[in-house]
Amino acid sequence: MGSVKISALLILLVLLTGCGGMTDDLFPSGSDKQPAVIPGTIGPLPGQIAPDFTIPDMFGTAVTLSSVITTTGVQGAVLYFTMWCPICWTHMDDILHVQIPAFPNVRFYAVDYVNGTLADVQQSAINTGYYGTALTILADTQNIVESLYHGTMGVTVVVDRNGIVRMNEDYKDGVRLHTVLTDLP
Amino acid sequence: MSRTQSLHILIAALFAGAAVFFPLPASAGSCCGGGSGAALLLPSYYNGLIDISFDFEKYHGYWDSDGKVRSDPPNSDLRQYRLNFGYAKRLSKRWQTSITVPYVWNDNVYSGGPSRTDGVGDTTLNVWYEAVDDKSAWKIRDMKDMIPSITIGADLLIPTGISPYDNVNSSYDITGRGFYRLDGNIQVSKTVNPWTTSLSLSYGTYLERSVNREVYVGYVEPYRKKLGDRTSASISLGYIYYIGTGGDKLTGTASFSYLSEGDTTYDDNRQSDTGFRKKSVGASLAYASTDHDWSARISWNHAIRQDDWGDNFPITDIYTVGVSYGFR
Repeated sequence: MGSVKISALLILLVLLTGCGGMTDDLFPSGSDKQPAVIPGTIGPLPGQIAPDFTIPDMFGTAVTLSSVITTTGVQGAVLYFTMWCPICWTHMDDILHVQIPAFPNVRFYAVDYVNGTLADVQQSAINTGYYGTALTILADTQNIVESLYHGTMGVTVVVDRNGIVRMNEDYKDGVRLHTVLTDLP
Repeated sequence: MSRTQSLHILIAALFAGAAVFFPLPASAGSCCGGGSGAALLLPSYYNGLIDISFDFEKYHGYWDSDGKVRSDPPNSDLRQYRLNFGYAKRLSKRWQTSITVPYVWNDNVYSGGPSRTDGVGDTTLNVWYEAVDDKSAWKIRDMKDMIPSITIGADLLIPTGISPYDNVNSSYDITGRGFYRLDGNIQVSKTVNPWTTSLSLSYGTYLERSVNREVYVGYVEPYRKKLGDRTSASISLGYIYYIGTGGDKLTGTASFSYLSEGDTTYDDNRQSDTGFRKKSVGASLAYASTDHDWSARISWNHAIRQDDWGDNFPITDIYTVGVSYGFR
């Protein structure tokens, strides 16, 4: 087989095997394709009613979203999905040192969705230096919150005091989170 | 979605460029965008070459942004396997080109359970220009015997893998970084039998792209993202042992590699502590037969699990076996 044919075959294989997702990377789109949200529906998208949940923090104390946001003086809650990775630490450090001091009336939670036991959640927090900080660690050992909010590494959800999702996207540099929290009612 | 499904976005982020600049014949642009400068390099007597290699990468914790070693979550076991297919073709006496395509398997366990996925990784296209030839002297008789080979090249990393920005509902599928990258490479090597040494340098820049979708979350408000520029370097020293009187030889090589990537920018705003740095050491053993045009190799790249040998990056061991066949 000629070398040109081999090269063409390799390129063709690449194109074929990548179909179904690759084209989004080969030709990235900047179009805003966010779906329209029907007000009053329950779901994870901005504008929807936030799904309620009750899960323990890493010490076993139950945390219920609806109770948190309806507490007097609380403006809302932030859920940050962590898997204890370096980029997660960067985000969590930003939350600890920038966001929490700037928004004392907002409750901040790091949701551990990768560990299966409270003991492992605690150990991860100890290993990474977040044990006993102002950032409350939630133990999503049954993947309840992860499923409700389509959470994955770095995903940040903001729920306001009325129970409406205000943001659900990657943390990135924290600027967007800061803007959303500034605009909370 | 299980708690381990999202491991693969971790893979995409943490393995970012884990395929360091080995002074070896081939390495894929695998593992979410690695492979910088490590494209196939044809010996002068071949018109073409097929190379297949298999990497096994095992994770042993991370360096944090201060360079301190941190452990993985309890009861976790993170691994990646990569099968790299490469083909190189000589275009003229001094020009050659190659393509390398990896296939990636992610195999991870957290305390919550196992996660196994696979898919095509990012592809590397390469062109080399052989600027100066090395005559590989047996003895240094005059100054011209000291002239090294100098090869200059460029890579284009193509995001053929499945990235966090593709249409995926699960991080299981992620096998690439999702960005194009251009690398400039230079390799200087000198053989004075039986010793051989090389220096490889590479600098790469990612092309900024739009992002309007994120894993699992789905479509989001569009923004522009650019990964930081990448620098890699490797230096090696090898010893060639000739087997019998034929053309067979065994080459043992020790190497030191450095890899770094700058901070990511979002809409031109740089996010601090998103870049990384990694230093590693390596050893390889390669068998080549000029009579039969086959060669085989094994190698080990080891990140030293001590503070300040890296920043913001996973600590891994990479084991590689590979074979290649040259066409005259």
